[in-house]
Amino acid sequence: MAPKPHRFPQVADTVLQSPPKRARTMATESSIKDAFANYTDYLNLLNEKRERVVKASRDITINSKKVIFQVHRISKNNKDEVLDKAVKDLASVTEQHVSRLVKELQGTDFWKLRRAYSPGVQEYVEAATLCNFCKNGTLLILDEINATLLPLSDPSHQPLQINILDYLLGLADLTGELMRLAIGRISDGELEYAEKICGFVRDIYRELTLLAPHMDDNTDMKTKMDTMLQSVMKIENACFSVHVRGSEYVQLPGSSDPSYLLLGMPDHEI
Amino acid sequence: MKAVFRNVFSAVSRSLNPNPHSSIFLPTLRTFSSIILPPSPFPFRNNAFRLLSATSHSSSMAEDGTSSSVEKQFESFRCQLEESGGLRERVRAIAMEIESATRLMHANLLLVHQSRSVPEVLEKASSQIAVLKKLYNQLGVVLQECPGQYYRYHGEWRSETQTAVSLLTFMHWLETGIFLCILKPSRNLAVSLSTMLHFACHHKLSLGMNASDFGLDIEDYLIGVCFMSNELPRYVVNQVTAGDYDCPRKVLKFLTDLHAAFRMLNLRNDFLRKKFDGMKYDLRRVEEVYYDVKIRGLADKAEEVSYDIKIGARMIMGILQEMKEPINNRRVGKW
Repeated sequence: MAPKPHRFPQVADTVLQSPPKRARTMATESSIKDAFANYTDYLNLLNEKRERVVKASRDITINSKKVIFQVHRISKNNKDEVLDKAVKDLASVTEQHVSRLVKELQGTDFWKLRRAYSPGVQEYVEAATLCNFCKNGTLLILDEINATLLPLSDPSHQPLQINILDYLLGLADLTGELMRLAIGRISDGELEYAEKICGFVRDIYRELTLLAPHMDDNTDMKTKMDTMLQSVMKIENACFSVHVRGSEYVQLPGSSDPSYLLLGMPDHEI
Repeated sequence: MKAVFRNVFSAVSRSLNPNPHSSIFLPTLRTFSSIILPPSPFPFRNNAFRLLSATSHSSSMAEDGTSSSVEKQFESFRCQLEESGGLRERVRAIAMEIESATRLMHANLLLVHQSRSVPEVLEKASSQIAVLKKLYNQLGVVLQECPGQYYRYHGEWRSETQTAVSLLTFMHWLETGIFLCILKPSRNLAVSLSTMLHFACHHKLSLGMNASDFGLDIEDYLIGVCFMSNELPRYVVNQVTAGDYDCPRKVLKFLTDLHAAFRMLNLRNDFLRKKFDGMKYDLRRVEEVYYDVKIRGLADKAEEVSYDIKIGARMIMGILQEMKEPINNRRVGKW
């Protein structure tokens, strides 16, 4: 077959000024190859970037989990040291791993690659809010988290800002950890701390019931809401049990340690 | 009870006191400015537990600062999510209209399998192109309200766009015998769908907006092309049945080139990869048809003709014209 002489059209990015007859011109094999060479480059860049984002997200997840485990090591006596270490660890997660996301998620990539980094960011939000609650007793709001991320980017980059959806999903996971914390505190005898957690979790649940239906694709959130309700109920039931049985226990006069020992045997009447 | 309360107070004060050395939570200092720590615990003596359950309640005096910012946050979340939900509804509505326009186009294009003449079929299908342009224009306008969030809502129109691309590339190939490819993709989605539509329907209009904000996603385009290749085996079979024996050669060359070009891509195991694998089977099918035609000598007459595409295209047109004649005038001897 003789090779055919062809012209190929210059396809501009926006306006195409070609006269109607231009459509009759042909694309050579080489122009298809050129186009596909471009597509190859584009897809290679995209996939490599996606890989880097997934790796960063995995590292963020693993290290945020370590922070959460650290917080769970709280007991009556070592609260401050444990929390200080947790806060420091969280800071290093921010500096070492979250910073890797800044360059990758510029422009439209922020939403394009969301599925790659969302689990990591959710875990990070969970760790940050847990630390904040244990240190300060309040909910770390999204603006505050995002403020801490501003120093990660230099002026040439768009700063990485966590979006509402990832924040809310992370918040939902937080309630699970708080449930564990509450049960742990009750075993340790700190009923009042547990009740504080209970109120806090109730509030989060209440607020999220209003927001969950409006989230982008709320299948994730729906399951998390169910789990959240289970967590709230577990805390409430635990507090209830201790509260009801607590009247059976005795306060040793002068000691600041309520002896909520799990023996269930009243020594004598109060 | 006093001992119990002492614990309450120490727990509460410990949790309310911000650590002044915490460098992470700098912005939180402002939220604590309005906290009033009770100087003496006695007003709360009998309300220990009620205080605890009220600490995160917005009406508690002690934590108005923090909890009102929390409440404000959730309030603003509600507004933002309702806004984005509304936007998503509008995008979805436009996507549904795009889908019905492509369905009409597809139904018209299917006539090409029933050996209607190509120009006639193309004319019918092209009537939807203007509709599509308008709809994508609308989509672009809606998305301008949320700059940078193209991919947040992209799922709503993704499959409709893939269908549209497959139909347009097929139509373009039917009409001109060449493959409609986009030459300069960039990270900013610099390929505008309007360019494609423009190319397909020979009009000079542009979308009138910055292509970097709204355009055709490359992966959508590639998947659309794979869908187009799925139509080719069926087309070739029906064309041969109708008597066009040169069609297999043209389609085979086209699909071979296309497949070779696709092989240049490094694909990961996703939907695009699956579709590309499907193209292999389409190519095989077309090869089989070409082989059947060739060994029976049916294509000999066509092969003697010069390969200049213009003549080849004219020939195809001639054959299609012939097919419009009543069936007893057909070249019976070919069977």
